[in-house]
Amino acid sequence: MNWTSCLFLLCSLMAGGFAVAVVLSSNIVRMAFYLVLSLAATAGLFFLAGADFVGAMQLMIYVGGTLVLLVFGVMLTAQSQFVQMRTSSGELLTALILGGALLVVLVSTAINVPAWQPTSNPAVDSATPVITATPIGMALEGYRVDQLTQPDTALRRGMSGYLFPFIIVSVHLLVVLIGAAYLARAKRPVVERMR
Amino acid sequence: MYLLGHLLTEPVGVVHYMIVGAVLFTCGVVCMATKRNALGILMGIELVLNGANVNLIAFGSPYLRGAEATIGLDGQLMAMFVIVLAAAEAAVALAIALNFYNNFGSIDVDRANQLKG
Amino acid sequence: MNPAATLPAVLAIAWLLPLAAFAVVWIGYSLPQLAGRRPGATAQRFAGWLATSAIGSSFALSMFALVVWLAYHPLGGDEHGGHGAPPSYSGDYYLLAQFGELRLSIGYYIDALTVAMFAMVTLISTCVHVYSMGYMDEELHEVADHEVATSDGNYLHRPGRYHRFYQYLSLFSFSMLGIVLAGNLAMVFVFWELVGICSYFLIGFYYERPSASTAANKAFIVNRIGDFGMLIGLMALWTSLGTLQFGDTQLTARTSAGHVKMVVPIEQGIFSKLRSEDQHYHLDASAMVRSAETDESAHPGYWLLFVAGLGIFSGCVGKSAQFPLHTWLPDAMAGPTPVSALVHSATMVAAGVYLVGRCYPIFVPEALLVVAVVGAVTLALGASIAITAFDIKHVLAYSTISQLGYMMLALGLGGWVAGLFHLVTHAFFKSLLFLCSGSVIHAVHSNDLRHMGGLRHKMPWTAYTMLAGCLAIIGAGVPIWGIGFSGYFSKDAVIEQAWSFAGANPSPTYQLLLYVPIAGAFATACYMFRLWYMTFVGEPGHPHRFENAHESPPSMVGPLVVLAVFAIGVGWHTPFMSDLSVTSILEQARPAGTQATTSGTLLTELTLPDEHLSHEPEIADPASQSAFFAALLGVLLATMIYVWRWLHADEIRQSFAPIYKLLSNAWWFNELYQWTFVRPTLALSRLFASIDRWVIDPLVNGLARLFAYAAKLLDRVVDRGVVDSSFDALAHGTWDVGLALRRLQTGRLRQYMVFLVVGTLGLFAIASLCWKYALAG
Repeated sequence: MNWTSCLFLLCSLMAGGFAVAVVLSSNIVRMAFYLVLSLAATAGLFFLAGADFVGAMQLMIYVGGTLVLLVFGVMLTAQSQFVQMRTSSGELLTALILGGALLVVLVSTAINVPAWQPTSNPAVDSATPVITATPIGMALEGYRVDQLTQPDTALRRGMSGYLFPFIIVSVHLLVVLIGAAYLARAKRPVVERMR
Repeated sequence: MYLLGHLLTEPVGVVHYMIVGAVLFTCGVVCMATKRNALGILMGIELVLNGANVNLIAFGSPYLRGAEATIGLDGQLMAMFVIVLAAAEAAVALAIALNFYNNFGSIDVDRANQLKG
Repeated sequence: MNPAATLPAVLAIAWLLPLAAFAVVWIGYSLPQLAGRRPGATAQRFAGWLATSAIGSSFALSMFALVVWLAYHPLGGDEHGGHGAPPSYSGDYYLLAQFGELRLSIGYYIDALTVAMFAMVTLISTCVHVYSMGYMDEELHEVADHEVATSDGNYLHRPGRYHRFYQYLSLFSFSMLGIVLAGNLAMVFVFWELVGICSYFLIGFYYERPSASTAANKAFIVNRIGDFGMLIGLMALWTSLGTLQFGDTQLTARTSAGHVKMVVPIEQGIFSKLRSEDQHYHLDASAMVRSAETDESAHPGYWLLFVAGLGIFSGCVGKSAQFPLHTWLPDAMAGPTPVSALVHSATMVAAGVYLVGRCYPIFVPEALLVVAVVGAVTLALGASIAITAFDIKHVLAYSTISQLGYMMLALGLGGWVAGLFHLVTHAFFKSLLFLCSGSVIHAVHSNDLRHMGGLRHKMPWTAYTMLAGCLAIIGAGVPIWGIGFSGYFSKDAVIEQAWSFAGANPSPTYQLLLYVPIAGAFATACYMFRLWYMTFVGEPGHPHRFENAHESPPSMVGPLVVLAVFAIGVGWHTPFMSDLSVTSILEQARPAGTQATTSGTLLTELTLPDEHLSHEPEIADPASQSAFFAALLGVLLATMIYVWRWLHADEIRQSFAPIYKLLSNAWWFNELYQWTFVRPTLALSRLFASIDRWVIDPLVNGLARLFAYAAKLLDRVVDRGVVDSSFDALAHGTWDVGLALRRLQTGRLRQYMVFLVVGTLGLFAIASLCWKYALAG
C-alpha cells in the first residue's frame, strides 16, 4: 500500500468527480458549491506534488477569493428563473460527444509519452520535504536560489527570476480591479437623470 | 486498466496528474459549451484554468520526475501567475455579467446576441 | 464405424428429411387445394407437426454427426497445426451429367464447419418451427387481413395458409442445408437460388398486401444482381481450373456389369489446385493460367483469381445484404416474423458469409481487402440507420445488416474463425431477438416501438429472454474475468483481428478498419438498448394495446428460452471438456494455408496478419477493453435518453435534423436507386416503346423540326445562357457566400465554444495525420 498514491487517488477522484458534478448539475448555486470542493481537492493534489506554497495560494486566492466573488455574483443574480436553466438535449449531446473526443485525445496523448510515466528515481525522495515558499518569494524578487547549482551555464544565464512578470501582473491586477469596479457600478443615477 | 490496477501500490507519475488535468479541462469545456447561465460559463473557465495548473504543477514536481526532467520552480511560478490572472479574469467577467444583468434583466447568454451577423 | 461412410449418409438423411416433409405437404395439401378441396384445421395442424418432426429428426441426426465427427477428430490437438489440410470428406452422391471436363454432380464436402453449421441451422430451424405453431395459429382458420382493404371497403377475408407456411419452411431448410453440404460450387449455386426462391415465397407470404409482394420482388431482383457477379466468378474459376469441386474427389464409378465399384484416380478440387501441398499450401496463382508463355510480371493468373474472388463475393453481397445491395433486407421484414428470424437473420443471409468462409482459399489478399471494406461500410451504414428506426423489425433488420458487416470485415481482415464464430453466435442471438419481437408483435398487434413501452410487467419471459439477446449482441461481459455472453467472445475476436490488422498496416487509411467496428460496438449497444427500453420500460405508448397485451403461449416461449440459453452460452468452453467449444471446432476447419501472415502482390504494403497473433494479450486486452467501453457508453447513452430522461429524444432529433433525416430515410439509398436505376430503366423502356410506336412517322419532318429547335436552343443557351448567366452567377455567388458566412456568426456563445473544440480536435487530427504521412516519413 502506497499512502501517497492512496491520497492522490482520493484527491483526484474528488477533484474529477466534483468537476463532473459541476457539469451535470443544472442548479447554479449547487454548481458553485461543487466548484469549491473540486478546487479544494485540486489544492490537495498540489500539496501531494510538493507544491505546498501554490497549494496554499490555491486555497486562499482561488477558493477563498475568486469563488467568494463568484458566489456573490450568483447571489446577486439568483432570481428563480435563472437558478435552473435547461439546455436543449441536442446541444448537450453535441457537447458531450465533443468533450468525450477531447478527453480521449488528451488522455491518449498523456499516456503515450514515455517521459511522463512514473519514474523510479525521482529528483527528491518522497520522504524529504521540499521547501518552496522562500525560493518562490526570492524568484519573484529576481533571485533563483533554487538554480544556484545549475551546472549548465546557458541555463544559469536565464536565471534572472520573475521580477518583471511579477510587476506586470501586479499592475495588470490593479487595472483589472479598477476596471471591474467601473463596469459593475450601479447605473441608477443615469436612469434617474433620464427620467 | 493498467493505470488503475496498479494505482494503489505503484508510485504516481506525471501521467496520472495529466489525466486528472484532462478531466478537469474537459469538464470545463463541456461546462462552457452547455451552460446558459453566464456564471456557469465562468465556472467552466475556472475549471479549465485549474486543469492547466494541475499539469504545470506536475511538470515541476520533484517527486514525480527525475532531477534532469523536472522544470522545478518554473512550473509552480507559472501556476501562481495563472491563479492571479484567473482572479483578475473572474473579477472582470463578473463585472461584465452584472452589467449585462443590469441592462437586460437576464443572465442568459442566449439573450446576448445583439452582435449577431 | 467408418466416418467416411457414416457422415455423408447421416448428413444426407438429415438434409433430405425436410424435402420429404415438403413433398408430403405439397402432394397432400396443396395439390388437393388446387382442385378446390380445403384441408381442415386439424389436418393443417398435422402438416405443421410433420414438418416440425422432420426438422427435429434432422437436428437429432446432425447432433449425431457432430458427435461422430468429434469422436474421430479430437479437438484442440495440433493435428494440422496450420500447416496441413483440415480433415474433410468429399465425394459425390450422384453424378448428374458430364460434359467433357465439366462434371455436374450432387456431392458433399464435409468438414468441421459443415457439421457445425448443420447443427446450428437445424437447431434454429427446429426452434422456429415450434415457435411458428403458436405464432401462425390464426392461419388455421379464415383470416381477416387488416392491412388489405377490398374494393367494397371491408378487410380482406381469405383462407388460412398454415400448411403452406410449413411447406415453405421445410423447403427452405432443405435448401439451406444443401448449401452447407454442397461439394461443389455448381451445387452451391443451385441451392443458393433455391433459398432465394424460398425467401421470395416467404417474404410474399401475405401476398395480398402490396408491401409484401413488392418486397418479395425487390428481394428477388436485387439478389439477381449479385448472382450475376457470382456466375462470372464461377465461370472464371471453371474456365481456368476446369473443376468446381471444393475438395479432392474419389471418383467412384460402377462398371457396366454390376455393383463393383472401382476407384478412378483422384480428381483434384479447387482447393488443392490453388493451394497444393507441394507449395506448402501457398496460394499459387499460376494454376489459373494454362498457357505457359504469358507475361509473368503482369500477374494474369492473380488478376483472374481476384476477379473470381470478387465475383463470388458479389453473390454474397446480394445474399448477405451488404452495401450496396443491402436495401432488400429491411423490406423483407414484410414477411411473418418467424421467417425473419430463420431466413432473414440467422441462416440465409448468413449463407453469404458462409460461402466467403468456404471459398476462403481462393481469395487473394486484395479481394479480401474489398470484402473488408464492404463489410466496414455496411457495418457503419446498418448501425447508423438502426438508431433512428421506429419499426421494431426494421431496427433488427438493420442490426442484422450491421452484424453481417462485422462478419465480412473479420473475414476480410484475415480472421477466418472470428468471422464464422460471429456467424454462429449471431445466428442464435439474432433469431432469439426476432422471435422475441414476434412475441411482442403478437401481443400488441403493432410493429411501432412508439406503441409499446412498459411491457415487461405484462410479458416477463419475453422481456428477459430479449434482454439476454440484447446483452449477447452488444457483447456484454467482464474483460478482467473473461466471462460474458456469447457475443462478447465473438465480437471481441472480430475487434481483436481488426486491432491486429491495424497494427500490421500502419497506413492511416487502414486504421479506419479498426475504428469502424469499435464505433459500431457503441452504436450496437445504443440501438439495442433503445429498442429494449422503448419496448419494455417506461410508460405504455398506447394504453389500449397495453391493456390487451399478454404473454405468448408456451409453444412460443419455449423456443425463446432454448435460444436464450444458447445466446448466452454458445461462446463458452464446455465445462469439464475445455477443448470443446465452437471456436475450436471452427479452428479445426480452417482452410490450409490461410493461417499464415500473408501480404498482397498488387498492393504490396497490404498485410493480413495471422489470426493467432490477435489472441496475444498485448493485442487482445486493449481490443477487448475498447470494445467493452464502447458498448458501455452506448448503453449509458440509451439509458440517459430512455430511462433517466436527462436527454430528450425529440430535442436531439430537432437539433440534428439533417442527420436524422438522412438516417431515418436510410441514407436515401432506395430513392437513389429509384432515380439512378429504376426510373432510367423505365424511361428507357418507355422510350423504346414510343420509338416502336412512332417509327412510321415522317422522320424528315421531325428531323427538320429538331434542327430548327436546336438552332434556337443554341442561340438561347450560348448567348443568354452562358454569357449572361455567368456574370449573374458570379454576382449571385458572391452574395450567397456572404450570406452563408453571415450565418456562421450566430452570436451564441456556446456555439462558439463548440466551434473552438471542433477546431482543436481538427488541428489534432490534421497534425497526427501529417505526422504519420509527412513528418515521420
